[in-house]
Amino acid sequence: MKRVEMRFAQVSVMKNRKGDHKLSFFLKVFIVALLAFPLTSFSAETVKFNYLQSVYFDEKGGGLKQPEGVACNEKSLLVVGDTGNDRLVRYTFQDKILRGGSDIHMPQLSSPIRVQVNSKGEIFALDGKKRHIVRLTPEGVFKSYVDPVGVPSPSAFVPKSFRIDRSDNIYILDIFTARVLVLDPDGKYQRQIPFPKDYGFISDLSVDSKGTVLLIDCVKAMVFSATKESNSFSPLTKSLREYLSFPTSVTESRGIIYIVDQDGGGIVILGADGAFMGRQLSKGWNEGLLYFPSQICVSEKGEVFIADRGNSRIQIFTLVK
Amino acid sequence: MKLRLKWLFLAILVMSLLTFSHSYGQNKFKLKPGAQGQLCLNCHDTFKEKLKNPFVHTPVKTGDCTGCHNPHTSSHGKLLAENPNKICVKCHEGIVPQNPKSVHPVVMEGNCVKCHDPHASKYKFVLLKPGNELCLDCHKSIGDAVAKARFKHAPVDKGCVSCHDPHGSAKERYLLKNELVSLCVSCHRTDQPSFSKQHMNYPVAKSNCSSCHDAHGSNRAGILFDNVHPPVANKVCTQCHEAPTSPDALKTKRTGFELCRGCHSRMMNDVFSKNRIHWPLVDQKGCLNCHKPHASPQKNLLRGDMNSLCGKCHIDTLESQKKLAEKEKQENAAAKGRVVKGILTHSPIQQGGCDACHSSHASDSDFLLKQPSVIKLCESCHDWSKHTNHPMGEKVIDPRNKNVTTQCLSCHISHGSGYRYLIPFPTVTDLCNQCHKQYRR
Repeated sequence: MKRVEMRFAQVSVMKNRKGDHKLSFFLKVFIVALLAFPLTSFSAETVKFNYLQSVYFDEKGGGLKQPEGVACNEKSLLVVGDTGNDRLVRYTFQDKILRGGSDIHMPQLSSPIRVQVNSKGEIFALDGKKRHIVRLTPEGVFKSYVDPVGVPSPSAFVPKSFRIDRSDNIYILDIFTARVLVLDPDGKYQRQIPFPKDYGFISDLSVDSKGTVLLIDCVKAMVFSATKESNSFSPLTKSLREYLSFPTSVTESRGIIYIVDQDGGGIVILGADGAFMGRQLSKGWNEGLLYFPSQICVSEKGEVFIADRGNSRIQIFTLVK
Repeated sequence: MKLRLKWLFLAILVMSLLTFSHSYGQNKFKLKPGAQGQLCLNCHDTFKEKLKNPFVHTPVKTGDCTGCHNPHTSSHGKLLAENPNKICVKCHEGIVPQNPKSVHPVVMEGNCVKCHDPHASKYKFVLLKPGNELCLDCHKSIGDAVAKARFKHAPVDKGCVSCHDPHGSAKERYLLKNELVSLCVSCHRTDQPSFSKQHMNYPVAKSNCSSCHDAHGSNRAGILFDNVHPPVANKVCTQCHEAPTSPDALKTKRTGFELCRGCHSRMMNDVFSKNRIHWPLVDQKGCLNCHKPHASPQKNLLRGDMNSLCGKCHIDTLESQKKLAEKEKQENAAAKGRVVKGILTHSPIQQGGCDACHSSHASDSDFLLKQPSVIKLCESCHDWSKHTNHPMGEKVIDPRNKNVTTQCLSCHISHGSGYRYLIPFPTVTDLCNQCHKQYRR
């Protein structure tokens, strides 16, 4: 009888040990999950825009007129495409202080509608009237046109927008041949990605830090993406029509996608996976409101610059998590 | 033996159940023998006259009034046994094909009585009116065009149902009975020399016939749409396409706007000299985004009326216009004759006149406006000096924004805002207080 009892006791101890092992395993998983939860929720956390100031004039007091382009970099450079005045205006924005406002006017550039700055501080601007991209020195002197070299047939292209990635490669949104042209920093052809099937009208593109190219379709209100290795676009989102009216510009910063809703006067925020994370700002004339905004630039420091075209100003915000 | 008995018993049980359910279904109201239908007609005697019509709905013919009506009580009008929009489908289940490409909206709404008399009629399929008369009651514009057309398409006179299925189509848009080309070639032989000759020997047997021809008839020979692109009218297809003998004969010689630029160079040069362009004009489709290349019922070979054409891309604007028009209609109806001051919609947009304010190709002004000055643009329709003496113009700075001057759009939203007078705020006081802050309460 004792033997039986002892045997039973041994078995139950073993069972308990096994159970302990199971328990400790689940406990570990639970603890890891619990620790990871704030991280994941933080990454999915949306951002808010905190209004800082508006830019109305150049250094001589000349007013901006329907600016459509804006570019910024980590060296505090701020370049405005002052479309209505056929010029660029160059500022610096450091420690929340705006300085400069020098006028860059040249016969090679009229109606700048998109502006970009590369890692060397060179300024690029898309001329909306002549539909070509100009390259300027960091001082704002005309250097050359961006004429893609070695583009496969058809070689004709019409740039609607363009982007420069961290390695200074140039991505051109060519609406004439329905493709994105990827050029090296010198303008030599690297590859092309055709627009997705059944697109409506692609109004802008962006490139994230991993080299993923994003397209915004203003008719279908959808974002398409193509990873660095991919040669085709696939939908990143379904129609975002319930969140926005007419998206005209897209940019990406630190895993967050910002879409400019031109007609709705707001900015729609998406996660890197395309999940809707919120909408910021609204339509109006007062400072902090937008009236037919155009391009947006988000700096590494979390400063947001928006070309508030209808209000003839640039508005500056900071990102708040 | 026992097994056989079991099977026999089971069969009898099933049979009796079926018989019971059938008889219950037939006479669920336990009517006296011979009372069906006849009983109803005792009171509804005017119906007797109706039943003399040559086409009588089967349940009516068999006296099964309770097939559709409940003789005692109902939650629906006319003591119908079911929701009137769903009752017909109970028997006519397959009236709309599965996975249809197009469905007649009245069928989708379940509004069968718009075309059919549920009891009896003089016309086949218990239709309310004979042949095309019924269809053209709603499709008036097509009726008018058909009546005026110099060159008729014979099947139209035979009846709309020659080409259309009035309920739905599994194969094609516009309720067409078959795919467009298959439908056309079921009458028109494409292997005939005359067909080739008419089409300048181009291999168009499988092309979209309705890109040139108006199937309802037109004023041009060959029932081409009323507005024909001159190269098509003059049969010089080679102006745009490769030679008919070429292996890729239907391919155009150039793509996008570059093709059109050859003839429309003056217009194109004018467009390219402007500061702002309507971007679709220079995309892959180019001019064909808005214009048809061969023929169109619309002027300037447009693909549709301006409202639907512009609304194809500017969906948000079109949708808000529809909502505003509906809101305006409802608010005006609720006023019951009382005059409601101010408008919610801007009439040029409602009437499809986007080009009243915007240049569809290019402009020197923002938003492709026709005039650089908004005030002057509005002035072309509105004598604003009678409406306001508020200071406006290039010298009057908007107090909300030191970089903007006051103009009509400082107070009004031309596409509508949801508030009367097209102002962006619920009341005029709210609007004025935006700038005149000292009067805020």
